[in-house]
Amino acid sequence: MSMGIVLALAGATLAALTSGIGSARGVGIAGQAAAGVCTDDPEKFSKVLILQLLPGTQGIYGLLIGFITMTQIGVMGGSSDISLVKGLLYLAACLPVIFVEPLSAIQQAKASIASIGLVAKRPDQFGKAMIFPAMVETYAILALLVSILAVFGVSALSL
Amino acid sequence: MSVLPMKRVMICALKKDRKAVLELLQRQGAVQVENPECPPDDPIFTRTDKSAEAALFRKYAQSAQDALAILNHEVPGKKGLLASLEGRTKLSVDEFEALVAKRDEIQTVGRAIQALDRERTENLAAVPKIESQVVALEPWLGYDLPLNCKGTEKTSAFAGSLPNEVPLQTIYESLGQYADRCHVELISQAQVQTCLFAVCETGCAGEISDALRKMGFVKAPDTDVNPAEETARLKAQLEKLDRRNGEIHAAIAACADRRGELEFLADYFTMRAEKYEVLGTLPQSPRTFLLEGYVPAERADTLRELLESQFHISVELRDPGPDEDVPVLLRNNGFARPVESVVESYSMPGRGEIDPTSLVACFYYILFGIMLSDAAYGLILAIVCGVLVRKYKNMEPGTRNFLTMFCYCGISTTVFGLLFGSFFGDSVNIIATTFFHRPDISQPALWMTPLNEPMKMLTFCFAIGIVHLFVGLGAKFYMYWRDKKYLDAIYDVVFWYMLVGGCIVLLLTLPMFTNMLSISHTLPAKAGTVAAIVAGIGAVGIVLTGGRDSRNWVKRILKGLYAVYGISGYLSDILSYSRLLALGLATGVIATVFNKMGSMLGGGVVGGIIFVVVFLIGHALNLAINVLGSYVHTNRLTFVEFFGKFYSGGGRKYQPFAVHTKYYKFKEEIQS
Repeated sequence: MSMGIVLALAGATLAALTSGIGSARGVGIAGQAAAGVCTDDPEKFSKVLILQLLPGTQGIYGLLIGFITMTQIGVMGGSSDISLVKGLLYLAACLPVIFVEPLSAIQQAKASIASIGLVAKRPDQFGKAMIFPAMVETYAILALLVSILAVFGVSALSL
Repeated sequence: MSVLPMKRVMICALKKDRKAVLELLQRQGAVQVENPECPPDDPIFTRTDKSAEAALFRKYAQSAQDALAILNHEVPGKKGLLASLEGRTKLSVDEFEALVAKRDEIQTVGRAIQALDRERTENLAAVPKIESQVVALEPWLGYDLPLNCKGTEKTSAFAGSLPNEVPLQTIYESLGQYADRCHVELISQAQVQTCLFAVCETGCAGEISDALRKMGFVKAPDTDVNPAEETARLKAQLEKLDRRNGEIHAAIAACADRRGELEFLADYFTMRAEKYEVLGTLPQSPRTFLLEGYVPAERADTLRELLESQFHISVELRDPGPDEDVPVLLRNNGFARPVESVVESYSMPGRGEIDPTSLVACFYYILFGIMLSDAAYGLILAIVCGVLVRKYKNMEPGTRNFLTMFCYCGISTTVFGLLFGSFFGDSVNIIATTFFHRPDISQPALWMTPLNEPMKMLTFCFAIGIVHLFVGLGAKFYMYWRDKKYLDAIYDVVFWYMLVGGCIVLLLTLPMFTNMLSISHTLPAKAGTVAAIVAGIGAVGIVLTGGRDSRNWVKRILKGLYAVYGISGYLSDILSYSRLLALGLATGVIATVFNKMGSMLGGGVVGGIIFVVVFLIGHALNLAINVLGSYVHTNRLTFVEFFGKFYSGGGRKYQPFAVHTKYYKFKEEIQS
């Protein structure tokens, strides 16, 4: 048994961990703004709720990478004999998600808050308000993509 | 399919018909009224300020709304998500007339409800005040004189409290030399205060009072009767308030059957307010008035005939001039109409732009389908939305479009779900393995499983993206061609097709690239040479023409070079479609996670129950969050990548003068 599995699992759990923290914080601060709007106009609830939820996806991406990695390294059943190099590679594969997801969640939440302000004043501009936070999400998705491809790539290697 | 052509309409009519003409126009809801400003020195036509009347009607409407809110709070009416799908109630002429005749009485009912509510608010505010008085009297209940008793002819009396628990002895000690001229009685004692009654000769009242004050003496609450009686009186008062509030509740609840009438009242005054707002903009002479505006061309002639048949009136129609800012109304077939609201939420087409709705619709459903890509989720979405749309015929058009859009998106999702072999994730395989021990059964993918072949799926997403972008460029080409700007079409579109298309073909001839994207065929090197030449021509063309607004050739070439740099924009646009893969995988993998969690306890009864619970909650959550994600990102791909190629919008939405009511629809023929 080598240290490989430890490093690989650290990558998987860190992915879910940091993304979860980022999304929790993002959805939290966006929720405060959304609740503020609802005190004035409860009918905007559904609109501001959608905006509040936008920074929540990063947590899901973290979960996704965590889960994929765990199934690939055999923590969820199967063989978990992983070399040190391979373990390190898995950890490296998780890095984009570990770093980009929490930061993008918080930045996206800030854009969401601004958009919630926009919807509060001009509810007819909801379509545009949704796009600003979605722009930030692009980078979360790109990080997710690189991590997915890397995790699958690493499991195909025979090291 | 298109932006509806508009006509400019000019109406001149007699002032005596003013009310009737306006009401007819309002019911027809065809004209967006836009009257030109009257010059202040115009000798004949002036505007009459009607803002005070309009504001008054708005106030009446608001007051009816307030009464309704109170009523709904007291007796909740039909509520909930489904009730909002039912749309507005239709009202016939007779019902309308009857209700209009009753409007003063309904208004009285509304005011009564508001007055009752105000009274209750006051009552509720009084309750804690009285309750605190009762609490303050509690320590004094054993005392049987009025608390404001000042004593007799020869004596002075004090009733009050000292802080903390003070023994009688200590009180006498503090009174010092006056102690024997005074009698002190303790009424009640508690840790926080000592209530006492002191009586003394009138002569030393001042000194006694000073001595007591030094100990922190506070006078008892002022009552004319003894505390027990006062408490009884206060309690009776509380009971009375409570009873009264009950009566108020009953009185308001008794108005529950007037809810419909109040709703009518709110609508009626909103309608009149809107009429007066228009009235205020009309240029009027002593005997006539003018009205100008825009009307969809297809309704223009019927409207003119209708007006001319009923009034002495002049209706002129003309095509709007090229510089006029004409309001935009979109008209599309059933397939594309649902996404009109998506286009609208970006911007209406500006002057000379095509209506992009049909193009948007084709890709909208496909992109959404790829992102959600689960057959079961697609079926749920399609069936739920489809059933709602069919069941509630009277639904407001906006809601109907929205639900129809998700219904079509659901169908597309089902198709892609089947292609990618996902039905609640891998639920088929999990259920077969856990409960029937048949791990060999699984949902076959009709095409490929993205999780196993992510690179192939990524290539497919890029391909979809390239087609999407090229269709956008094609729309730009069409607009140039239609406006006979043939050279612009070549410069801004054809050269880009050559450059981007050439580069893509060139990449496909490189084995390194095709291996990476797991494409089985690598194009022959000859194709690469041709592609390189085509791309080169495109690039040179863009360098030469990209800055063609500048006359200076140096500047022009520099600008052209910068324009070629726009290729990096195409690169990032195409890469942006990788979100199709990422979101598709997210749906599938999270569904798999929930399936796995559910099956952890294995088969058997307990395992089965746990599985069902986890399955229901998990998939409901996954569906909700991924529908939201797919919706947001489909919009983004449409707004940023697709519209970025050809569409800038900036048009004004057509908002006719019409009956904008909340609760009732009025049929055409109402003559009020």
